[in-house]
Amino acid sequence: MWKKQKYWNPVMETLSHDKIRDLQLRKFRKIFEWSYERSKFHRALYDKAGIRPHEIRSFEDIRRIPTVEKSMMRDIQRKDPFPYGDALCVPLDEVAEFRQTSGTTGQPVYQADTWQDWEWWSECWSYILWAQEYRPTDRVFLPFGYNVFVAFWAGHYAVERIGAEIVPGGVLDTQARILKIQELRCTAMMATPTYVLGMADTARRMGIDPASLGIRKITCAGEPGASIPTTKKRMQDAWGARVYDHAGATEIGAWCFECSAQSGGLHVNEAFFLVEIQDVETGEYIEEPGRRGKMIITALDRQAQPCIRFDSKDIIEWSNEPCPCGRTFRSITGGVVGRADDITKVKGVLLSPSAIEEVVRGIDGLGDEFEVIVDKDGDIDRITLKVEILKGREGERKQIEAKLKDQLRLKTNLGYILEFHDFGKLPRYDVKAKRFKDLRKH
Amino acid sequence: MSDKYDLKEMADKIASLKKTAEDLADLGEDFPALYRNTRRILAGIRMLELNISDIAE
Repeated sequence: MWKKQKYWNPVMETLSHDKIRDLQLRKFRKIFEWSYERSKFHRALYDKAGIRPHEIRSFEDIRRIPTVEKSMMRDIQRKDPFPYGDALCVPLDEVAEFRQTSGTTGQPVYQADTWQDWEWWSECWSYILWAQEYRPTDRVFLPFGYNVFVAFWAGHYAVERIGAEIVPGGVLDTQARILKIQELRCTAMMATPTYVLGMADTARRMGIDPASLGIRKITCAGEPGASIPTTKKRMQDAWGARVYDHAGATEIGAWCFECSAQSGGLHVNEAFFLVEIQDVETGEYIEEPGRRGKMIITALDRQAQPCIRFDSKDIIEWSNEPCPCGRTFRSITGGVVGRADDITKVKGVLLSPSAIEEVVRGIDGLGDEFEVIVDKDGDIDRITLKVEILKGREGERKQIEAKLKDQLRLKTNLGYILEFHDFGKLPRYDVKAKRFKDLRKH
Repeated sequence: MSDKYDLKEMADKIASLKKTAEDLADLGEDFPALYRNTRRILAGIRMLELNISDIAE
């Protein structure tokens, strides 16, 4: 019976590594040729580098192909055809879906998809949901603003695709969403870690224990929190649910996912994506496990606006361990552990915002919200960390402060000015949080 | 795992399905309800190719 099958695709997800690599190479050659033949941008880029489709015979050849960055997409989209520019590989009348990036790092990038691309998006998500044990008996609540951002749109259609039931919680406020989950006895939901914690907080203020609502699976995206153990634990404890991570992006697709084995890594969907890891300093390509670098990714089947060797700036590392789930898709340890453009030097030390989140969320007595501000005191870098102390725990402030200082020093090698605020005083976010502010002029 | 499934047979049936859908789309040049619905079916068939036919080669 198909509903009892462990894998969405029992053949693809257990293929030998050699066969997966062979498939990736074949598919890469096709999408490269597709783009070269149809897009002015891609042809010019590859002609300039002196690379033609027939010359791609190995993964070494692929590494000679120039990467594409988000900033290049912004330039491309000033050209015709409006609004996508000359990276478009299909006639405009074949574009079925518009989405755009959130603009967190600058001017938003527009993304065109054909209907086939949109089917592909939800197919990618079907691998995710099935691996996280979503099944046709699930009633899945989606508390996100259904709008121009891709967010959980493809997750919505994947819920339909796998045969489960979707409850679109779009234009409802948080309280109404909680009541709807309660009323309909929903069993699963998808949201950013920030919103998962925020919803739990709102439920408690309504006098409802979020764990009593019956949500048993939560799939997160948009922020690294679901792969940060302390944040994951807070979410799981609050909801009494298993919390899963996955990673995706508007320009890329949903490219990796945590499976039900929850072994500390996220599987890359290697049937649909080619992931390369490059050393940020030397540019050397990293094949061995345990060494971090930035991800260069290709979506092997996306056609309208192809994603070929996209320099995502995501920092990842290959895992050493085979996953107990039996999938042969390789895993990345701890998910996306940072972004090349997020990791910043403070007082000469590399600082990742995720490391601070891991510390704050690991300390009992502190709320979920925090804010980090980096500025200068004269010529010296200064970091201020604002945290909230939970109601009823104010008397323990000295002990909490000492523990926080110790853990920050241990995990980040830096000293901080600590500001304690009453619970509820720091800003709350509905979607992607902006908790890290670097005010220095570089 | 792949030994358990007859990928060749599946791929053949997918190819046949695709041919039927393409033929149907050809009949719909002046028939939006036929043409557009068939195009959507073809996008779905492409997902079968990605999952099955690509590894049955």
